[in-house]
Amino acid sequence: MRIPDRRFALFLMTPAAVFLAVFVAYPLIRLITDSFYKISPNVGGTREFIGVANYVEAFGSEAFTNAGWRTLAYTTIVVTLEFTLGLGMALLFTMLGKRSQIWRTAFLYPLMIAPIVAGLLWKFLMIDNFGLIGTLLYQAGILQNPNQIGWLSNPDIVLFSVAIPDIWLTTSFMCLVLFAGLQNIPGDLIEAARLDGAKAPALLFRIILPLLRPVIAVALVVRGIDAARAFDTILIQTNGGPDSASETMSLLIYRTMIRFGDPGLASAMGTIYLLAMLGIAFFAVATIWRPGTDT
Amino acid sequence: MSSRKTISRLAAVGGLSTAVILAATACGAGGPAASGGSSDSINVLVEAGGHAELTAVAEKCKQETGVSANFVELPYDGLFNRLSSEFSSGSVSFDVAALDSVWLPNFKDAVQPLDELFTDDVKKDIFPSLVKEANVDGHFIGMPAWTNAEIILYRKDLFENAQNKADFKTKYGYDLAAPTTWKQYQDISEFFTKDGMYGTDVKGAVETEWLAHVLQAGSPMVLDANNNVVIDNAAHKEALDFYVSMTKSAPPGAAQVDWAAAQNLFNQGKTAMTRFWAHAYRQIPKDSPVYGKVGTAAMIGGSAGVAGVPGPWYLSVPKASKNAENAKKFIKCAYDHNDLGIQSSLGLASRISAFEKYQDQPGYESFKPLIATLNAPATATRPATTKWQQIVDTVLVPTLQKAVAGGDTTALLSEAKKKVQDLIK
Repeated sequence: MRIPDRRFALFLMTPAAVFLAVFVAYPLIRLITDSFYKISPNVGGTREFIGVANYVEAFGSEAFTNAGWRTLAYTTIVVTLEFTLGLGMALLFTMLGKRSQIWRTAFLYPLMIAPIVAGLLWKFLMIDNFGLIGTLLYQAGILQNPNQIGWLSNPDIVLFSVAIPDIWLTTSFMCLVLFAGLQNIPGDLIEAARLDGAKAPALLFRIILPLLRPVIAVALVVRGIDAARAFDTILIQTNGGPDSASETMSLLIYRTMIRFGDPGLASAMGTIYLLAMLGIAFFAVATIWRPGTDT
Repeated sequence: MSSRKTISRLAAVGGLSTAVILAATACGAGGPAASGGSSDSINVLVEAGGHAELTAVAEKCKQETGVSANFVELPYDGLFNRLSSEFSSGSVSFDVAALDSVWLPNFKDAVQPLDELFTDDVKKDIFPSLVKEANVDGHFIGMPAWTNAEIILYRKDLFENAQNKADFKTKYGYDLAAPTTWKQYQDISEFFTKDGMYGTDVKGAVETEWLAHVLQAGSPMVLDANNNVVIDNAAHKEALDFYVSMTKSAPPGAAQVDWAAAQNLFNQGKTAMTRFWAHAYRQIPKDSPVYGKVGTAAMIGGSAGVAGVPGPWYLSVPKASKNAENAKKFIKCAYDHNDLGIQSSLGLASRISAFEKYQDQPGYESFKPLIATLNAPATATRPATTKWQQIVDTVLVPTLQKAVAGGDTTALLSEAKKKVQDLIK
C-alpha cells in the first residue's frame, strides 16, 4: 500500500494535534465559555448565562485596571533591565572569546534555581528588620539605619523590589540567547566596518544590533510574555501587598478564582489578559523582527 | 517502499494510541479516589496543622471504633480550592473535612447536619461563640476540632526587672505588669521602645487583631446582625486609631508585618510584647533568646471589656460522602478524645474541659489566658458571609496598610464602607 505524502504528514501530526486539542484547545474553550457565566462557588454549582457582564465588571473594577498597568510596568522594568544587562554581558563574553567559558557557566547558574527558592532568598535579603541588604548598606555607611528602605513594605518601591529576583534569575537567559545570536554575525563584516573606520558605538548600533534583530525579537517576546505572567516570586515575597502595590494580573486572577470563588469573573479576566498578550506579541514580532524586510 | 509502509503504519498506531491515552487521562483516570464507600476506612481532608492535631485521635479511634482514617494533607489555599471544586462537582473524595471557620458560610449547603452530636453536655463544654458559629441556618454543620485566640505574650524577664519596674512607676505612676487595658498596652509599648528594641509589633498585613480591638470597643465587626455595614462607626475608628498609635513603638515596615513576621520578631527578642495566637507560646524554639522568659496574659480589653476573634476549625461531613456513618463516628471520637490534640505540635483543643485539664501544668501557661479570652462576653466570631475572604483581602487589609502608613482613618473607613457595600450587595 502506498499512502500519499499529505496523508503521511497528517499521521505524523496526529499525536501533537491531539495533545494540543486536549490540553490547550479544550481548556481554552472552557475558559472563554466560563467567562460568560455567573458560576456559583457553592454546591450545586449553578451556572447562569450573563452575557458580557463579567467583562463589564472586570473593566469597571479598579483592581483589574490597576493590575493591568502594574503588570505592564513590571514587565517593562524586568525586560529592559534584563535586556540591557544581558546584552552587555553577551558582548563582553564575545569579546573575551574562549576565555569567557568559565564565566558563562557561572553566569548561567541563577537560571537553574527554582523561582520559589529565589523568591524566598530575596525575601530574606530584603525583609524589614532582618534583611541582610539593609544591614550591609548600613554597615557600608550608605544608610543611616538598616530599616531606612522598606524594600517590601513601601508601596512606592515594592514593584521594583519584587522584580529583582526575576531579573537576577533570567538575565542569564537573555545573555545566552543574545550570545548565541552574536556568534552568527560574520567576523569579516565587523572587520570590514573597522577598516572603514567605524568606532564601537557605530559598530553596535549600525551593525550588531540590526543583525541581531530576529534574535532580539525572540528574546524580548519570550521574556516579555514570561515576565508578564510573573506569579511565584511575587507571591512568595509579598503576596501582592502592601495595599496591592505588587499585585500583578496573574495574582489578581488567582485570587479572584481561588480566594474569592468567582470562576466566571476570573475567566473573563483571563480571557482579556490572553487577548492582550496575543496582541502585544504580534505587535512585537511585527515591529522588531519585520520578517522579510531586512533579515 | 516497504519501510515507508511500516513507518506509516507505526505513525498511525502511534497517533491512535496517543489519542486513546490522552482521552483516558482527560476522563479522570488517575484522579482522586472516591470517598470510602461502606468500608471501615474514611478519608479525612486536612491542613498541615490539622493533620498533627488529629493523628493521635485517629489512632485512638481505630482502637475504639475500628474506623481508620486516611489523611489527605493540603496547604491552606490548596485545601480551599480542593473543597470548592469537589463540592461543586458533587462527587467528593473525602468523608470528613477540617474547615476553617471562615469557610462555613461558603460550604454550608454541601455538608451534613451534625445536630445529633450536639447534646446539651457537648454545648456546655464548647466555647459559646463556637457553638453559635457552628450553627448555620438552624443546623450544626461542624464540630469544633481545635480553636485558638489571640492572647498577650510578654517578656517576663523585662517586666520583672527591678530597674524597669522602678523607672516605669516613676514615668507612668502605676506598677509595671501585664497590660489589661489599651492605655496600659500603649504605655508599656512606649516604655520598652529603646536601645534597638520595640514595645510591640503592628501587623498591617492581617486584619484579625484590629477586629479584636473593634469588639473590645463594643461594636460587631464590619457587619452588624442585619448585614448593615458598620465599618465607619466610632468603635471601628477608635480601634483603628489605637492600632495605628502603636506604630511609633513598633518595628518599621508595619504594612507588611503578618503573623509569621510578628512571631519571628518576638522570638528573636526584638519586641517586648505581642498580641498573638495562643499556640505560639508553646512553639517558642528552645534556642530562641526569649525561651523560658515569656509570660502570658488574656487579651487586653477596651470599653466593652476583653475580646478576641476565635480561630476555630470544624470537622464536617460532606453530603455526598458514601461513608457518613463512619465519618460521624470519627467526629464523635475526635470530640471524646479532644485533649489528645494538645500533645501535638499545634497543641490546641476545642473543649473547655480539655484546656482546663492542662491549664495548671507547667508549659501550658497560655491556656488560662486563652480560656479567659474565649469565654469573654464580647468575644465573637467573624461575620458569616460568603464574601468574607474578599472583604478581608480587598478592603480590610488595604485599609489597615494605608492607615499604618499615615492615612486619614476617618476617610479610609468611609471609603472602606462603600467598598464593602459594593461587595455584599
